[in-house]
Amino acid sequence: MKGYRKYFLDKLGWFLITLVFAFILNFILPRLMPGDPVAAIVSRLAQGMSDATGVQAIYQQYADLFAVNRPIHEQFLTYMRNVVRGDFGFSISQYPRTVVDVLKSSIGWTIALQFPAIIVGWLVGNTLGALAAYLKGGFDKVLMPVSIFVSNFPAFGMAIILLVIFAVGPARGGVLEWFPASGGYGFDLIPSLTPTFIWSVIVHYQLPFLSIVLIAIGGQAIGMRSMSIYELNADYVKHARFMGIKDRKIVGYVFRNAMLPQITGLALALGTMIGGNLVAETIFSYPGLGFTLLNGVMGQDYPLISASTLIVTLMVLIANFGLEIVYGLIDPRIRAAQSD
Amino acid sequence: MTHTIRQVFHSGKFVAGFSILTAILLIVIVYPLIITDSPLAIIAQGTFFPPGIYVNVYDSLGSPRYLLELNDAAAKRIANRLGKDDRTAMRDWLTAYGVPDSEIDINNTKQLLSLWGSKYDPKANIAGLTNAKRNYYVRLNDSLKGLAATGGTILATKNAETGALEETGAVAQADYINISQVANVRVLPLGTDNFGRDVLTELVKATAVSLQIGLVAGVIATLIGLTLGLLAGYIGGLVDDAIVFFTNLFIVIPGFVLLILISFSIGQESRGPFTVAMVIGATSWFWTARAVRAQVVSLRNRDHVNLSKLSGHSIAYIILTDILPYIASYVVMAFILQISSGILAEAGLSILGLGPRTTEVPTLGLMMRWAMIYQAWILGKWWAYLPVLITIALITFSMNLMNTGLDQVFNPALRE
Amino acid sequence: MAEVMLEVRELTTKYITRFGEDVYAVDHVSLKVEEGKSLGIAGESGCGKSTLALSLMGYYFAPLHYTSGEIIIGGRNISGMNPDDVRKSILGTEIAYIPQAAMNALNPTRKIINFVEDVVQAHQPFRTKKEIYSLAREVFESLGLPASVLEKYPVELSGGMKQRTVIAVSVILLPKVLIADEPSSALDVTSQKMVIKMLRNLMTDGFIKSLIFITHELPLLYNVVDDIMVMYAGQIVEKGSAREMVFDPIHPYAKGLMGSIIVPEEGLRNVKLTAIPGVPPNLKKPPAGCRFAERCKYVRPDCKALSVGLYDAGVGRTYRCIVPEKELRDAYLREASKNVQ
Repeated sequence: MKGYRKYFLDKLGWFLITLVFAFILNFILPRLMPGDPVAAIVSRLAQGMSDATGVQAIYQQYADLFAVNRPIHEQFLTYMRNVVRGDFGFSISQYPRTVVDVLKSSIGWTIALQFPAIIVGWLVGNTLGALAAYLKGGFDKVLMPVSIFVSNFPAFGMAIILLVIFAVGPARGGVLEWFPASGGYGFDLIPSLTPTFIWSVIVHYQLPFLSIVLIAIGGQAIGMRSMSIYELNADYVKHARFMGIKDRKIVGYVFRNAMLPQITGLALALGTMIGGNLVAETIFSYPGLGFTLLNGVMGQDYPLISASTLIVTLMVLIANFGLEIVYGLIDPRIRAAQSD
Repeated sequence: MTHTIRQVFHSGKFVAGFSILTAILLIVIVYPLIITDSPLAIIAQGTFFPPGIYVNVYDSLGSPRYLLELNDAAAKRIANRLGKDDRTAMRDWLTAYGVPDSEIDINNTKQLLSLWGSKYDPKANIAGLTNAKRNYYVRLNDSLKGLAATGGTILATKNAETGALEETGAVAQADYINISQVANVRVLPLGTDNFGRDVLTELVKATAVSLQIGLVAGVIATLIGLTLGLLAGYIGGLVDDAIVFFTNLFIVIPGFVLLILISFSIGQESRGPFTVAMVIGATSWFWTARAVRAQVVSLRNRDHVNLSKLSGHSIAYIILTDILPYIASYVVMAFILQISSGILAEAGLSILGLGPRTTEVPTLGLMMRWAMIYQAWILGKWWAYLPVLITIALITFSMNLMNTGLDQVFNPALRE
Repeated sequence: MAEVMLEVRELTTKYITRFGEDVYAVDHVSLKVEEGKSLGIAGESGCGKSTLALSLMGYYFAPLHYTSGEIIIGGRNISGMNPDDVRKSILGTEIAYIPQAAMNALNPTRKIINFVEDVVQAHQPFRTKKEIYSLAREVFESLGLPASVLEKYPVELSGGMKQRTVIAVSVILLPKVLIADEPSSALDVTSQKMVIKMLRNLMTDGFIKSLIFITHELPLLYNVVDDIMVMYAGQIVEKGSAREMVFDPIHPYAKGLMGSIIVPEEGLRNVKLTAIPGVPPNLKKPPAGCRFAERCKYVRPDCKALSVGLYDAGVGRTYRCIVPEKELRDAYLREASKNVQ
């Protein structure tokens, strides 16, 4: 596995560099605001808060957090130190909760929603695309236009359509009222591991899940279909047939070969997907990172926004890294090409 | 060149997408010339007026009256007043009273009314009837009686001195007015939104703004991507390494997140539509750069390029005349894609509240945001968000169609 | 009398175009290959050689369709056989095919040995992996390929090695007939020589019993095959021994083909090069008479009217022309004396 080790180290190094860069960006961008960032923030929220001591406390905390009076590299070190310690400061819009506290609950919901949705979408989409390429005929003719249409839908668009169709009754202009229109679980329930709660979570999960999955399926189906068509017409397929190898076996290889670029494609599209899904979350008031972000923006909650974006970036980077590692394990060409 | 254009317009998909887009553009340009009202003008006191033709009642009272005897006028009047819920309630009462279910057809207004008229007894003892329900039936019966009346309504004004009502006129049930003779009529095909603005006018303006934002963002992103891709691909070496390094970095970091951070950092005051467009453009060029670079690299060693090099032409000349024409088709497609994703990016940003200032111009994203905050979809006010969604979908869909069409023209392998 | 490995009688196959038109790419072709012999099929691009090869395999995938005629391999008529039987008992075991540019014929994500296993197990499922490995090793090594190739991926092999690997794998099941479709066209000259040597050794070492060699490069055929068949526009225009075909072709097209080669052989070195003007006919609407008539130097009024069959010139020679052999030879001699410099 010599070749693989080289590949792995290469990807790892890249991951670390990107990570550092992300931190730097997250640090620098807000500080590009003109004027005293702390005063600007505090002044904005002075309107929303009536508690004078609260305002004071936040101002002080920020002054420390930003260390605005110190040179920039010291500021960065303070920042990094705080990040490592897990201290993102207080959330302005939800004072006195800390940012970490607010995020802790949101991250779980987002990961639970997005990653299974993306993976299921990928699997189902690729299968459909492969089938369309292999079976051709009617199935293909139906699948293609539907996929093209669905894959171009923005995530929030799909979210709204699903919401109106499945969560709003006819009395209010919708169609069916099978699913709840908002939240991660019933309003009246407290998070606990009771069956009622779990069932409520499952029910609330359906629509957000679907809005992400359907679009992912559409996109993947198209890509996989093109790749499969390309591979099915490849020379080695014809040759294998000449040698008398069973079609079923050949087809297995074809799809395996066609899937490889799909994995890379997924890795590259991950960032965009997650971004789009954040908006879908907000449509459903689903208590994930998207919703947190929305509330943060509405409440001018700078620390919350900054931390949320950092977390999202981290998630994408990690997922990306994971995918590339897996890809290196599956595609023998990588190892072979590297081992010279 | 003309041959390529002819081919392009031969492609069904391209033509379809192009027509949709042109239609939208035409509407966006022509509509404001006809309806000159300001899109953000608040014309309604109250939220979410449904779509329809709004006739000023005061003016219609003064308009010339016409007598029309229509057979179904009375039935229609009653049918309008009796909603599905009311009819179902009537049926429930009747069945509880003892009328067999088979005789009751809630859609047959006449029959329902005659049954009700003959059977209804406010003092009847119906099992399980709560007081509130009983009162409801009484009210219902009264209003029905009012409907069946054939008299008209009397108009009166208050005498300024005595305070007594003086009869000034009457309105008969058979009186009609001609809408074109009414002074104030406003057609609101899409009703009003939560602020009280004319949704249709707002939508047209919002489409225009969003398209402009998309265009600017697209131009910026394509220019940056093209330039960097060209430089990286053609010059190679250290320049290439640096550019590739940065591009790869940004491709992985989710662009949307970057967009959020920057938009927030700028602050709402400086977020005009143009600024937003610039920010979107500045955070979405990475794919284009990478793709252009790949093309340029493959072109770099072609014979015609080498020939130019040997002839001593400058780098700029070579890039402009030998490389650009070959990647032109690709750049056009990338451009269309950037516009489309720019529009979506603006919509996403606006929904989160990080879009352009809300007091100057509406954008498609902003309209979605208002609909969301004021719970339009839960309240069933479909006109506030559905047309916006459809517009967004149409725009992106048409652009993608155009792109697919172009792709098939430039890439014969994809033709079916 | 040597055993006949492959016999083809009046085989006709067609392509159906998108618009439903029939294109008869192989038109009433007959040939015979005996044990220990090799046949070369020559002709310009598009004359139907590759289609013929595919048809011989019983490999009919839309848009290629079998129309009529018989293909008899090892005594069995496979022309009416159902595709699954063909796959199981014919492809690879009785008759094997090496496609053009065989280097692309290997699945890039599979090791060579795995590919061999697939091939063997598709026909002889009872073989164990160990058996297959030693069999593969034997074959590869006797063909000059090191055993280490088996453990590699195609991406790790050079073009020439890939070509030879493909050849080696196709004979692993010891087919009776091997069809090589332009086996050396995509290679450099040294590799070309190695491939041809390998093909000849295949017969002498007993891996295959007969060989069909398809090419448009005529100089190759003389040193490789016993008999040569020239095709034009889907039909055979002449058949004969290699020596006869190269030095003494009868049909004007065959003559023209030979005349367009640079041949360093004695006696032909000084002959002026001639090219055959024009292009082959559109097979969607084949001409009524001789298909070569448009471009033929010796065309007669009858040529375009009557459809032309194959004339027997004795000793296994046939040619498709209504002009008698003697007249054609006289005409060639007159031309030759004009052309000699």
